[in-house]
Amino acid sequence: MPRTFHQVGRRYGLRGPWVLHAVGLALSAGTLVRVGGVNGSGKSTLLRLAAGIDTPSAGRIEGRPRTAYVPERFPPALPFTAYGYLTHLGRIHGLSRRTARLRAEHWLDRFGAGAYGDMPLSELSKGTAQKIAVAQALLAEPELLVLDEAWTGLDAEARDALDDAVTERVAGGATVLFVDHDPGRLAGAVTAAYEVSGTSLVPVAQSAPRVRIDAQAPPGTKLPDALPPEATHETDPSGTVRFSVPAAHSDALLRALLTAAGTWHIHRVHPLAARER
Amino acid sequence: MTALLGYHTALLLRSQRWLPPVVLYGALLAVGVGMGDPLLDSLGYAAAALLPVAAWLVRICATQEPYAARHVTATAAGGPVRAQLAVLVTALAAAGLLGAVGTVLTVLLGDARTTDRTAAIPLPGALASGLLAAAVCALTGAALGALCTWPVLTGRGWSLAALSLGALLLLVTAGSPARTAVSALISGSRTGDTPLSLLPLAAAAAVATAAAALSCGLSSRRT
Repeated sequence: MPRTFHQVGRRYGLRGPWVLHAVGLALSAGTLVRVGGVNGSGKSTLLRLAAGIDTPSAGRIEGRPRTAYVPERFPPALPFTAYGYLTHLGRIHGLSRRTARLRAEHWLDRFGAGAYGDMPLSELSKGTAQKIAVAQALLAEPELLVLDEAWTGLDAEARDALDDAVTERVAGGATVLFVDHDPGRLAGAVTAAYEVSGTSLVPVAQSAPRVRIDAQAPPGTKLPDALPPEATHETDPSGTVRFSVPAAHSDALLRALLTAAGTWHIHRVHPLAARER
Repeated sequence: MTALLGYHTALLLRSQRWLPPVVLYGALLAVGVGMGDPLLDSLGYAAAALLPVAAWLVRICATQEPYAARHVTATAAGGPVRAQLAVLVTALAAAGLLGAVGTVLTVLLGDARTTDRTAAIPLPGALASGLLAAAVCALTGAALGALCTWPVLTGRGWSLAALSLGALLLLVTAGSPARTAVSALISGSRTGDTPLSLLPLAAAAAVATAAAALSCGLSSRRT
């Protein structure tokens, strides 16, 4: 059963101010849910409640999916090697020792940290420690994955790898609930977005899905004059121009490029979802 | 649960934080249990020494994971209540193991006669008495430890002060299961009886269960 919040409130201490009040939220299977809000607004509290680490002071939370949680900063002050820690956590998640170890190797490889598997956690850099925290959650193949700014501290490739892993989990029927300071994170793939405002959780209207178009023209070629509204672009070092445009206007942008004065080559057209390569 | 216990045991062993309480227990035994001392007296002393050690072990196990790591483990375990229960059971098991070793050593070293050396005391009976008293003290100490550390008591200074004071009070206050079990051994040493402290054991188990329930219950409310 998916985790569902009914009139959930949370405050610290018997007479403390409410951090969250009368929050309702249904985390259905196969959805990617984003939570925004300013710093200190209670986003992390909401995520801890969803992960089952914290108990509401009022209301109730139903449903107990298998859950994994990635904190924003993962402390390496544990006396294990990376594989040792991941194997223990995999066993706590209910895997056999062998499966836990195999999946640990798989996920560290995917995040480019395979070489650090036998290193003590205390010797890892912050970024690598964060990869361990992410691997710990992914190897469990959880039904509910809760990510509290899990991308912070990861290098660019690992961020892309995490974007991919998240879209795979959602496609596989899991729920992913996340907070990230980058408003563009997984923009095209988000199913529902909320913002913690005051003590309530309010739905946020979603920006339309966008499409990325990579195109190239000989050096010095000017961009076409009539670009569709809301189209943005950046030129990378190789001279490829990456356009980002609302999906509804992608045909218009292609038409503009193909009929433009210069000779534009379209390299690729793809929905801007998981990754932004 | 097995995986959680394995994780916390590995954490305790690999961090080497087990060393100070084990050294304390060893030192207390070395000072108080002499070769050829009256056996039941020594067993009483060994059991009493286990109480602060058990409390300390609980405090170590409950605080050895950093904040964020505790959240990760609690989620993987299916909730902080299970994770905290594993912490308490790991510490109690460590204290129990230590107590068993200490009791057996004491039986091997002691003189199996009454205090006035007139009557012999049967060894199997003495061993059973000693193990029971050790169990009572381990449970009472673990209960104290659970009440003196996260999530029940959070400040480090308060925690240590309450732990030391609590251990002292539990060993001297009439009515405490630990004191009852230890006194029974000491008077047994005079009379030659080997007491089976079953009532104190039941009381200590009840106290430990209540303390564990409070500790586990609060673990999901103090994040």
